[in-house]
Amino acid sequence: MDAIFIIQQTILFTIPLMIVGLGGVFSERSGIINLALDGEMVIGAFAGAIVAKLVIASNPALANAQWLFLVCLLISAAAGALFSLLLSFAAINLKADQTIEGTALNMIAPAIVCMIGLLSFNSERIFSGANFVILKSSYSPSFQQAFDGPMGWFFDLFFNNIYISTYIIVILYVLLSVWLYKSKIGTHLRACGEHPQAAASVGINVYRMRYLGATISGALAGIGGFAYITTCAATTAESSVGGLGFLALAIMIFGNWNPLFIALGAVFFGFLKCLGVLSSQISWISAANLPSYFYNIIPYAVVILVLILTRSKSGCPKAEGIPYEKGER
Amino acid sequence: MKKSFILLSSALLTASILAGCNKNKEPVEIAVVTDVGQLMDGGFNQGTYEGAKKYAEAHKIAYNYYAPANGSKATDADREAAMNSAIENGAKVIVAPGFLQEKAMRNVAQANPDVKFVFVDGWNLGLKNITAISYKEEEAGYMAGYAVTKEGYTKLGGTFGGGGSNPACNRFSYGFIQGANDAATAMGKTVEYKMSFKNGSSFSASTELQTQISGWYKAGTEVVFSCGGSMVNSVIAAAQSYENAKIVGVDTDQAALSPKIITSATKGLAVSVEKVLGEFYDGKWDAQLADKTSKLGAADNATGLPTADGSWRFKTFTKEEYKTLFDGIAKGSITIDSKTPENMNTQEVWTAIDEKLTAATISFEA
Repeated sequence: MDAIFIIQQTILFTIPLMIVGLGGVFSERSGIINLALDGEMVIGAFAGAIVAKLVIASNPALANAQWLFLVCLLISAAAGALFSLLLSFAAINLKADQTIEGTALNMIAPAIVCMIGLLSFNSERIFSGANFVILKSSYSPSFQQAFDGPMGWFFDLFFNNIYISTYIIVILYVLLSVWLYKSKIGTHLRACGEHPQAAASVGINVYRMRYLGATISGALAGIGGFAYITTCAATTAESSVGGLGFLALAIMIFGNWNPLFIALGAVFFGFLKCLGVLSSQISWISAANLPSYFYNIIPYAVVILVLILTRSKSGCPKAEGIPYEKGER
Repeated sequence: MKKSFILLSSALLTASILAGCNKNKEPVEIAVVTDVGQLMDGGFNQGTYEGAKKYAEAHKIAYNYYAPANGSKATDADREAAMNSAIENGAKVIVAPGFLQEKAMRNVAQANPDVKFVFVDGWNLGLKNITAISYKEEEAGYMAGYAVTKEGYTKLGGTFGGGGSNPACNRFSYGFIQGANDAATAMGKTVEYKMSFKNGSSFSASTELQTQISGWYKAGTEVVFSCGGSMVNSVIAAAQSYENAKIVGVDTDQAALSPKIITSATKGLAVSVEKVLGEFYDGKWDAQLADKTSKLGAADNATGLPTADGSWRFKTFTKEEYKTLFDGIAKGSITIDSKTPENMNTQEVWTAIDEKLTAATISFEA
């Protein structure tokens, strides 16, 4: 079992957690608790898979077309964003309880998916037939030679057995994180999660900022959902993403609402989950003779520990979950 | 606004009541009450329904299906309600697939002794108006294991659902390794077999399962038997990363899911339902079916591998060899041990099997 394999598998665990966690940040930093991340992932994954299915059904040769992968990611972002508007509308315009609304959306998402699936495809499971992985054999012969060169490990790691979603999501993650902290709009958005009245007093439209935050959140969750089903279920959407949205939420809190710590947290979770699975396959780990549960428990135990230790320095946005009333102080 | 909403909802209500009154005048004699999941699930429900449909259409008998309310979360009460509405519509025989139907079927069958029940993939419930159908999954597993070994693969794997306590999955797994062992013995070779229930307890796809199976393919495993619902999606995801990786599907012909699926260990739900309905209408209920379990296998054409052109993906193993194998099992000249322990998710069970099967080396991943 070589290091490249472990790194690549860790990445597959990490990427959806990371981007969905960042989605949580955008929503909560603007002042809206987004418990609906899981539901948004389900909707995003489902919408992307339907598009992939329809395109591939009309032309099977497109089953590994990377542009189709891109289109599907965009569609899933749009679907996630659209679905998140239900949360924004209830939370911002109707001033509903955001926790309850998020829970309701998590319950309705699988139901919507089942209904559309059954009505249109006679199945709750959308099997697209896509195969978006990029292997060494898909490159030109001259480029394939690079894999055998002295830098072979580098090409193996970054160009063989990869999904473009990994790179897209990493770039998106960096750009959006910088934008949230360095741009004017990003600062405005964060202000709305800390003290919306103060933000409003300097002319920031709190409603608009909260809509923006929650919508970006939904879009990122949708992308995460589609990346998840592509890498782990051969682009087959079901009414569940295995509770990954909740795990991402936990990682967001673990990362103290800070993109850098969230990314590290996601890598940490991903690596230990990966070790848990592979513990019996890697000789130096199985030599320790610990049950795989051990590796699965560590991340959760660490989360509890970190939360206890950092409770006085919580980065939780002060105004999150509180509906904004115009004119209230 | 408010008024129009009230009008609209009352109109909908009236419409639904009227729809409820629209009773079929003709009694619907054959009823299928579905298991969780949808009717056209490409597996269980679909197979059962198609069998009932085929028999009913051939003999001009009215048939219909009833899906219990609440879909995947249907309760026993939902199933009872579905069975009762089937009886109200004149059902003489109710065919219901899936072990979840046990309690509802027992209750409704006790209350309606004149109605007959067919418990697909079930067992005897001690009532004269219930018959059960179960399958010799070990035969289908055996054929698949035998075929892939004859094809030339010697490094096999199997990932199974149900956490070691699902009888069907257990029989598939035990049959598969026996088939591989026997083929290897005949060829004077040995096979390596990796076996796990680790990430299949909920029969669903997961990154964990994908990583585990990727690890196997990475380490040289050539064919993985994926036995359990949506798990196949993760196995496909893993296989897509390895040029030569192959998969064995399960229950129905899964060739359409991926070019990686070399064959599928199938059980013929449709065939068996058709057969039992035929026996019922021929008046053989009391003699052959009442409170009995029909254990169906190759002899009844209820287990096998798909041989349609698009699904037959072997290059070395021929259809003639398959025919010989199938006939051998059907006629009983090839015997397969079907005694699986209740819990197969233990090292001890597989160590014992390993010792018994001389041409196979089994490593069990807990």
